[in-house]
Amino acid sequence: MKFNSDPEWLKRQAALEDNCFVSVGGLVSAVEDLEEQTQRATASRTAFVSLLNLTRREHKLTWEQFSQKLDVDLAELIEIENDETYKPTPRTVTKIAHFLHVPPEKLFVLSGLARAHDRQFQEAALRFAARSQPVKALSSEEHEALKEYVKFLCER
Amino acid sequence: MKTRVHIIDNISGKPVEAELFDEVTVEHFIETQQEWRPIVLKAARQLAARGSHQLIPQHFHWDWTAKAPELKVLANAFYGVRYENKLQGLMKLETVGQFCTCRLPEQAGKALIYVDYVEVAPWNLKALMSALGEKPRYNVIGSRLIEAAVLRSKEEDCKGRIGLHSLPMTESFYIKACGMTPVGRDPAKQNLLWLEHTPEQADKFLTGAR
Repeated sequence: MKFNSDPEWLKRQAALEDNCFVSVGGLVSAVEDLEEQTQRATASRTAFVSLLNLTRREHKLTWEQFSQKLDVDLAELIEIENDETYKPTPRTVTKIAHFLHVPPEKLFVLSGLARAHDRQFQEAALRFAARSQPVKALSSEEHEALKEYVKFLCER
Repeated sequence: MKTRVHIIDNISGKPVEAELFDEVTVEHFIETQQEWRPIVLKAARQLAARGSHQLIPQHFHWDWTAKAPELKVLANAFYGVRYENKLQGLMKLETVGQFCTCRLPEQAGKALIYVDYVEVAPWNLKALMSALGEKPRYNVIGSRLIEAAVLRSKEEDCKGRIGLHSLPMTESFYIKACGMTPVGRDPAKQNLLWLEHTPEQADKFLTGAR
């Protein structure tokens, strides 16, 4: 591809493009739509934290050991668990996905880094978040929920 | 593909060298969601509060991350512009699909490259930055992306023919700055205006010939 390197072309396009919107891609009705999507993302995020928490407990690891296994920063894991607004880095999410043997794209959605327009995916995340409670030992129900959800992520 | 292109730094008024690339990944989509969307939404709210509804960007809701599965589709091509380690613009093209056919009578039925999505970082848009009391940072990002679309069209033997559905507030850019022909409203796509480049218009745009 040979792009125009003529300064005159650049100057002319700058004058023509100045003050213009250039976006292409379709319309949407209202700002409220975006806020509704944000709420759905929060539900997925809760499922992501639960998934992380149960996986760690399933493997009987402390947060420190878990961070070493994943090769991610301990502080980031703590942030993910405790701060709902914290956005994990794509690298960290990829590491977690590899540890769980699930496709990274699924965890990008679950962690709030990407969005799914798939109702079934969101409902499964909600069900999983609702079933997993932060108790000391992993109950058989949590064990089942974890197993079932990881299977769901792998299959889709 | 990675290449150097000049864009304009609005602060100095001088050209600066940016990188135009086609190896777009899901991380770039995430970057738009994290870096661009909060600014777009903030500006949209400011404009709404001031009653300047006509200036609220019609693309404020976009979510590139939802397009992640499309990265794997061979018929799609993505291009980005990066400068100062920040994504300045992003574009998605379709080389095959329902909108990849010309409608302009003189070239009806011929193949074209469909520009499905284009977005420029919000800090480069004057209306949005004005709403936030700031100046836009860089210019010519949109033109560079459309230039990439036309060059891709030539590579695909479409002779520079491209087509797109413009949002109402972007029509003047595609007509005046890119020299495209408005063909008509498309009921199949939210009644948006369908525009096309003929090979002659594409060449004029690429060379700047008047």
